[in-house]
Amino acid sequence: MIRRARLVVVASLLAGFAWMPGIPAAEPLPDYFAGLAEEYTGQTRPLLQQFCLKCHSAAKRKGDLDLERFATLAEVRRGTRAWLKIVEMLDSGEMPPKNAKQLAPEQRKQLRGWAERYLRAEALADAGDPGPVVLRRLNNAEYTFTIRDLTGVALNPAREFPTDSAAGEGFTNTGNALVMSPALLAKYLAAGKEIARLAVLLPDGFRFSPHTTRRDWTDEALAKIRAFYREFVDSADLGVGSAVGNINVHSDTRLGQAGRLPLEKYFAATLAERNALTTGSKTITAVARERGLNARYLGILWSSLSGQAPSLLLDDLRSRWRRAKPQDAAALAAEVATWQKGLWTFGPVGLIGRQGGPSRWMEPVNPLVTQQDIRFTIPSGGDGGKNKEVVLSLVATDAGDGNEQDFVVWKKPRLVAKGRPDLLLRDVKEVGDLGPALFGRHPNGKAIDAASLCVRAPSVITIRLPAHLAAGRDLVTTAVLDKETGREGSVQVDVVAGTPARRSGLLPSEVTVKFSQVTQVFSDQREVSYSRPILIGGKSTARQRFESAFEEYRRVFPAALCYTQIVPVDEVLTITQFYREDDHLARLMLDEAQKARLNRLWDELHYVSQSALLRVTALELLLEVMVGNGRADRSQYKALEPLRKPINERARAFKKELLDTEPKQVDALVDFAALAYRRPLTGAEANELRGLYRQLRNKKFPHDEAFRLTLARVFVASPFLYRLENAPVGTATAAVSDWELASRLSYFLWSSQPDKELRDLAAKGTLHKPEVLAKQAQRMLADARVRRLATEFACHCLHIHDFDSLTEKSEKHFPEFAVLRGDMYEESILFFTDLFQRDASLLSLLNADHTFVNERLARFYGIKGVEGTAWRRVEGMRQHGRGGILGLSATLAKQSGASRTSPILRGNWVSEVLLGERLPRPPKDVPQLPVDETATDGLTVRQLVARHTSDARCASCHQKIDPFGFALEGFDALGRRRDRDLAGRPIDTKTKLPDGSELDGLPGLRAYLLEKRRAAFLRQFCRKLLGYAIGRGLQLSDEPLLTEMQERLAKNDYRFSVAVDRIVQSRQFREIRGRGAQRAEAP
Amino acid sequence: MKTHPFSRRTFLRGVGVTMALPWMESLSVWGDATTNAAKPGSQAPVRLAVLFSGNGFHSKEWWAKGKGKQMELGQVLAPLTDFRQKLVFIRGLYNAEALKGNIHSSQTGNLLSGAPLASGGEIRSGTSIDQVVAQRYGQSTKVPSLVLGCEKSNPGIHKNYSMLYSSHISWSSPTAPTPLELYPALAFDRLFKEEVQDGDKSVLDVVLAEAKRVRRNISSADQRKLDEYLHSVREIEQRIDQAGQKGELQGWRPTLDKPNLPRPADGIPQNLAEHMRLMGDILVLAFQTDATRVCTLKLNNDHSYLRFPRLGVDVGHHELSHLNNADWLKVNQFFLEQFGYIARKLDAIQEGQRTALDNSMLMYCSSMLTGGHDATNLPVVLLGGAGGQIQGGRVLDYLGKPNRKMCSLYLSMLDKFGIRLKEFGDSQEQLAEV
Repeated sequence: MIRRARLVVVASLLAGFAWMPGIPAAEPLPDYFAGLAEEYTGQTRPLLQQFCLKCHSAAKRKGDLDLERFATLAEVRRGTRAWLKIVEMLDSGEMPPKNAKQLAPEQRKQLRGWAERYLRAEALADAGDPGPVVLRRLNNAEYTFTIRDLTGVALNPAREFPTDSAAGEGFTNTGNALVMSPALLAKYLAAGKEIARLAVLLPDGFRFSPHTTRRDWTDEALAKIRAFYREFVDSADLGVGSAVGNINVHSDTRLGQAGRLPLEKYFAATLAERNALTTGSKTITAVARERGLNARYLGILWSSLSGQAPSLLLDDLRSRWRRAKPQDAAALAAEVATWQKGLWTFGPVGLIGRQGGPSRWMEPVNPLVTQQDIRFTIPSGGDGGKNKEVVLSLVATDAGDGNEQDFVVWKKPRLVAKGRPDLLLRDVKEVGDLGPALFGRHPNGKAIDAASLCVRAPSVITIRLPAHLAAGRDLVTTAVLDKETGREGSVQVDVVAGTPARRSGLLPSEVTVKFSQVTQVFSDQREVSYSRPILIGGKSTARQRFESAFEEYRRVFPAALCYTQIVPVDEVLTITQFYREDDHLARLMLDEAQKARLNRLWDELHYVSQSALLRVTALELLLEVMVGNGRADRSQYKALEPLRKPINERARAFKKELLDTEPKQVDALVDFAALAYRRPLTGAEANELRGLYRQLRNKKFPHDEAFRLTLARVFVASPFLYRLENAPVGTATAAVSDWELASRLSYFLWSSQPDKELRDLAAKGTLHKPEVLAKQAQRMLADARVRRLATEFACHCLHIHDFDSLTEKSEKHFPEFAVLRGDMYEESILFFTDLFQRDASLLSLLNADHTFVNERLARFYGIKGVEGTAWRRVEGMRQHGRGGILGLSATLAKQSGASRTSPILRGNWVSEVLLGERLPRPPKDVPQLPVDETATDGLTVRQLVARHTSDARCASCHQKIDPFGFALEGFDALGRRRDRDLAGRPIDTKTKLPDGSELDGLPGLRAYLLEKRRAAFLRQFCRKLLGYAIGRGLQLSDEPLLTEMQERLAKNDYRFSVAVDRIVQSRQFREIRGRGAQRAEAP
Repeated sequence: MKTHPFSRRTFLRGVGVTMALPWMESLSVWGDATTNAAKPGSQAPVRLAVLFSGNGFHSKEWWAKGKGKQMELGQVLAPLTDFRQKLVFIRGLYNAEALKGNIHSSQTGNLLSGAPLASGGEIRSGTSIDQVVAQRYGQSTKVPSLVLGCEKSNPGIHKNYSMLYSSHISWSSPTAPTPLELYPALAFDRLFKEEVQDGDKSVLDVVLAEAKRVRRNISSADQRKLDEYLHSVREIEQRIDQAGQKGELQGWRPTLDKPNLPRPADGIPQNLAEHMRLMGDILVLAFQTDATRVCTLKLNNDHSYLRFPRLGVDVGHHELSHLNNADWLKVNQFFLEQFGYIARKLDAIQEGQRTALDNSMLMYCSSMLTGGHDATNLPVVLLGGAGGQIQGGRVLDYLGKPNRKMCSLYLSMLDKFGIRLKEFGDSQEQLAEV
């Protein structure tokens, strides 16, 4: 059977068709056409002959229309389009012409009635025909969104492309308006190469960046690692700066906040949830989730705090914790911080690996000493010499572990001053009573050095020195444990001014690191000193006990989790580009997946930055400098030499890695092409890609360039630029593949490629199932990407697409427009996006009581109480005389002149765009209205229009459209509410329609559209949505689907998704015509 | 020799069957052989420039009478006063197909082809005269033609015709309007940037092979659409092949072999006058360096939204056209000044005995005479001698005469390029007087 030619219905004249229930929706009944055939020959054709053929004969073909060829129904069915025209002309009253013989009412009814019955039968006969969809190139918006979704970068590659044109139902996604030319293809090639420059090659593939230089890519990789760290360390000032927790050999160094363990919130959690966690009514995981904490660390902290095993350092913290209330978290954290200062040191990492240098950034230290030298500068009496004496105390405490064997010797305490002989304390007569302590004697009575003291901790020896003796002198002594009796002792000693309260327990120590002066490149030595270290025997078991207690504490409370600075700035010259130290973070907080992710980020950083190669250069430069400086002292040069071998070896390994990763990147490119083509590649396609790459390598292109050219090739490939679909052989229609269906869906609702979920379903081959399709459409409508449906469909549909670049307004009259237009557009976009996402009723297009505003637009609308640039939903728009698309400033302003309103444009918009009415074109040489609404000889715009359209040639149309525009006269040319026009005359918004309905203002128009024109409004919406979805003009055979959509909408609260679901389930959407199918009917 | 009518059907069929041949070769099927009219190698070639502005002109001020130096011009044409001896003012021509739609887009999309326009969301016109010339001579120059615009095209449908028609007077094929270049810098690059880079050829080879393979599995309608892509790839490939051979292709040497102007800044100039001037400069430069011999410059769209605050006119072009007032006249003159500017620059370039203007054929036209959509009497001015083939200083009035088709003028114009077609659009005869 020869497939009959299809036709494209251009007008919406069938919008008013109510589908006769008598005609079955399935196959057309041959009988029905038989009846039509008989009626045609008997009654209809004679009418044509009598009234039409005089002009529309085969010979005359007036208006390119030959009706004589329709001898029988068979010919009629080959020229259906002409019959649409006949109905249109009859309905508009244009035909027969006024000066020709007119049809009698009965005759007219016959002709019109037959034509309508015939067209309905024809529509049903082909209902669901996918139609002639012309191959679609991605339009500029789709290309841009697809590139963005493919690369993850907010690019604007079509910025300088020619503007797309509209076809079909008026959208720019229709194939026949999407042309290609050498100039445009050259632009695609250039854009493809630009995009390919943004590819960042990675060890296992590639990613895209907004940038094109290695430097920028490296910064991105750094930023990713820092962002990763930031999730755990809770610090705002990550990265470069002097306040970080590293040591800088050239400046005073403090431990800053960067990379620190954020203890306070963890303590707070353990305190607040102590009962729940103790009783088990809440789990660690639950608490962590509620409070945004790391569960792993919270668990570790909880078991440390609630643990029972005795622990030198922890016991004290535990007891305080048990007493603490939730508000004490900060104090607990502060106590831990104090201890951290004594248990960790930080070293410079810029030259790590050199001989004698630190082995890592944060190193553990144990504040344990076998003797402590003390030099205490005696404060000068600040009381103007009133007090005749200075009080000092020699303090010894038991270090928290009891005082067994805590015998301390204060060796030769003496007063020392420069240029004067030392004065032993023993020899100062005025010192007086030292309590039980005696010079030269152990508390057990044994004699010791005569100038020394021996006490058992805890002890405080208070000394009162005459002011004249103390002035300008230091008290110097050395504290040690007594060799015999103090072997297993552990004490802390200190010299303080005044008389301290008696202290016991272990006191926090603090470590200080000092670097000797920097000589050539780095500081040669560092000196570590402690305040309040623990005096302890060199090989005692007490020492072991302390060491393990410190280690236990450090494992729970590392001072920093990771080195967030990453890029060291702590040496004059550094070799280390990127320094990684995050083992505590990994141990305490990361699960395996997170560790793997972090490793990948680091791999990426090293790979992208090519740090291994940079280190070679850095080391060579450094050594060169040192050789060239002519110094005899080569010690630092030698200290750096051990670095040379590992650095060179790493560089060699990296070069090999680069080679090894090349094939992986090409593999990734092939995988990427499948994404870009929106389907799996065929073997030939994959080979061709690899072949191109090889061919370019053979032409001596380096890997990087060959890769990028091959990638650019993907972006100009026809399967990427076009939405190619395999048509079945023959003339019959067939379902498109699941992959093609995925693209149809995603380009319909998102103007872009299918996402992973759609791809997975396509790969599984289940996407075409009705329930799967329905679910996916629902999911996609709720997604943020549906904003693109708002701009590309809804805004196009209402003729406000790209309203933000509208330049048609007079700057003289409306200087504010340039600023407002972007806001006006955004309001419309948000309104539609929200409607789609909420699956709201299509009636709310007209009767919504809400809209979206920022402060500027709210002020323009006269809405109070909206502040700031953020967009928000506001209710009660009807109070402000707005609500829905009729009251959007974008639509009102768009359908106005440059400096005045235009009731005709607005009325025409309501008629054509909202209701789908077709109006004839205006006659030539229409007299014009003045441009400015103030210079109108005293008439309002409305009065001018009324006078103007009283011209008989114009009246028939203007009676239909002007009243709609008059109703909207309460808004000025920017869409601002007004009672008076620019010349100060009152505005009249009352109007009367040709059918006698009277209405007033926007509310009246809204009610009229909702009540009396609801069906036409909805049908027009469905028509546009369907035309947009399938990318072609609608045809007669689409009418049954429109009817079905309308029926379903009415039964389902007019929810938007109902219309979408009907479309995606339709044959039009799911099927494609056979390759051999004819094109559209010739005109 | 048998010639074929230049119809859409043969065109499409031709494309379909000759895909294996390079694009340019496939075109020589239509029309007679190039060699008939080939000029001696030493003589400068004829160049064609078509300038267009939409919405017509002031109803009282578009006219000319008298001859040569004594010719009098309406005020719209005042900027051409200096060129009275080199211009031909033509009155009374029309396109029969353009009368059908009677709205902006339906009168513009076929202005340079006379073809029927598809309505109702379909896109079909005819290959325009500039592209016929470009397809014949395009191989001799770096780019076959330059299609420039100063207003971006309008995405929408108006009164049942795609607004694409309002924005495109140049059509490479009946279904493919030639995309416009709006960016002066990109137009400049297209002419003078040695954009061809190593590797492009390899890339294009494989995308072409791929497209051919893909083409086998799609419908015939889709194949026709994809052919636009195939042609485009081929043409760029050819350009690559020709790169470096420039100058060997013809005996005549242009008076300038490198641009004597700097590359314009990126982006579109804020100032409309500057934008138009830059496009004019590029047009002149293209002719002077023989980078192309065919250029259309669409100064604005029909149904244009351009505004002219710098002229002290605050109303949009389309709105103005219906007002027909002093501001409208001012804006009309502003457009004709662009034409005059280009003519003046070309006339200052000496190419042997003649100036570049004498060797060119410039046409200025609109798709209606006035803002009232009247397409029965189109405004047309020819400027330049087409290499001594056109006598200037004349007014040709065809109003009321039997042969007054725009397409007849196009047949005459094609004749000046040695392209002798039996028919073009709706005409089978030239305008003898031209």
